[in-house]
Amino acid sequence: MEKLSPDWTEATRLWTAHRQHWITKYRSDRLFRFFCLASIVFLIVVLSAIVLFVSKTGLLVFRDVSPWEFFFSSRWDPEHHRYGAAVFITGTLYVTFVTLLMATPISILTAVFIAEMAPPRLQQWLRTLLDLLVGIPSIVYGYLGATLLVPWIRKLTGAPVGDGILAAAIVLSMMILPTITRITDDALCAVPNEWREANYALGGTKIEMIAKVLLPAAKSGIAAAVILGMARALGETMAVVMVIGNVAQWGFDLITPSSVLTSHIVMQILNVDFHSTANHALYMMALLLLFISISLIMMIRRLRLKGGSSS
Amino acid sequence: MKRSTLWKRVISAVLSSTLLLGAALATEHRADAAEVSGKIVIAGSTALLPLTQQAAKEFKKSHPKVKIVVSGSSSIAGPQSVTKGVATIGACDWDATKAVGGFPAYKGLKAYKIAKIPFAVIVNKDNPVSNLSVEQIQDIYEGKIKNWKQLGGKNEEIVVINRAKGSGTRVNFEDKIMDGHTIKTTGDNYKEVQKSGDMVNAVASNPNAIGFVDLAYVKGGIKAVSINGVKATTANAQSGKYIFYGYGYLLTKGEAKGADKAFIDYILSKKFQNGSLKKLKFIPVK
Repeated sequence: MEKLSPDWTEATRLWTAHRQHWITKYRSDRLFRFFCLASIVFLIVVLSAIVLFVSKTGLLVFRDVSPWEFFFSSRWDPEHHRYGAAVFITGTLYVTFVTLLMATPISILTAVFIAEMAPPRLQQWLRTLLDLLVGIPSIVYGYLGATLLVPWIRKLTGAPVGDGILAAAIVLSMMILPTITRITDDALCAVPNEWREANYALGGTKIEMIAKVLLPAAKSGIAAAVILGMARALGETMAVVMVIGNVAQWGFDLITPSSVLTSHIVMQILNVDFHSTANHALYMMALLLLFISISLIMMIRRLRLKGGSSS
Repeated sequence: MKRSTLWKRVISAVLSSTLLLGAALATEHRADAAEVSGKIVIAGSTALLPLTQQAAKEFKKSHPKVKIVVSGSSSIAGPQSVTKGVATIGACDWDATKAVGGFPAYKGLKAYKIAKIPFAVIVNKDNPVSNLSVEQIQDIYEGKIKNWKQLGGKNEEIVVINRAKGSGTRVNFEDKIMDGHTIKTTGDNYKEVQKSGDMVNAVASNPNAIGFVDLAYVKGGIKAVSINGVKATTANAQSGKYIFYGYGYLLTKGEAKGADKAFIDYILSKKFQNGSLKKLKFIPVK
């Protein structure tokens, strides 16, 4: 009789334990969600604080300087209240363009070699090497550029100084080459092997396979690689400031000392009075840099989406 | 196996964070104890940095209860940080209580002249030119003289190197050498560098370059030229025969008080002025 009657205390204990178990689980679940949310809120707050502060200080420049002068005048001469930033804006776009012109083809060919032609041992070795190269601090590239590359350019072109867009673009190419190569390599490896085999089955050669199957199939990945390289080239400061010459003048012939947004900001920011127009102009240039890199990235992301849907 | 490595990681992470925490707490504690007896924060000129650092080291020995933080970024940061209250003493290569070199006069600051700083006009060590007149240097920087041949050197284009606007050394160069003449800041033979060390590298690596820097930086691949026939030495700058020199200043908000005053007094003392200050190639003001 006694044995058959249900053991209420035991049942209650079990039930409570069960409940407690789930409560704790839910609680930790909620806690985890809270931490995730807090992280993202923190990130958003920090990022918007940066944008807000930079734009707040930067836009003050237009109290003293007309937007027309700031964007289209090439005369940067704070002593005579001339704050034209056209040289730096054009310089940034120009350096990035020349850099990509040099780095993209070399990177893609290197990636094709690694992904398609290199024997496995060499493949492993090259990938490790490239991963190491990505991690080299930019100041090292800048130093090598200033001590080896610039004298070499001087000898080769007969330029008196040797600093300029060419030196900056070569240094930046060296810096972004591993980045573009590695990501392109990954994109190429993601192309299914059947596609390669289909090409051979149809009698295609290796070159045809690479040019007509592999590269078109991997184009969105390659675009991503180029964006990342471009973003690094655009924002790079230390390596550029060491080899560009830092003069507020046009450098279209590639070997005249010139200046870009990043290098100009870092050259001047410590040397200006905080409440001066020059300081506001530098912040405006930083905002512009932010804007240029965001819009370039958006542009290529859209390009990528289009490419992704068509393939 | 996997679990054991995980545990090892967890344990090492916990241990290292405990250590870090301990270290952080320890320094915190020390800072608290020192704050009671005063704290000096020095910011500003990098040219004066060796001087303020040495003075801080010696001052700490005689005043163990005072905590001193010394940093250097640029001359203009000196008066700015003191005005903002970030630093108690600002170091600057010019008298920031007056408007100099395109910078405003900082009101409410008190300037203490602490040292005479000799500067040098420098060329590559392989350059045969060893003497320039002030007019010749002005002409080079104005872009009127373009070839070393015009100055008795090789037939090579002169490469003019300048510091960024706002550099204390440049302010003194414009004041003492250019004397109202404007530097031509464009051309394919002109470039600007950020710091004194960059200036030295730029001139050392280009055989046709000319630049200017603190005398203390002259060594290795560069040489100082004589100006108006007077050799660039501390002795000549002290006597005033050599004209390219400036003064280093310490700035405080109002009159210096407490620990700040004791520190400035120490720098101005005969012992420091004729001892360490001289050894660092600065010239005593007293």
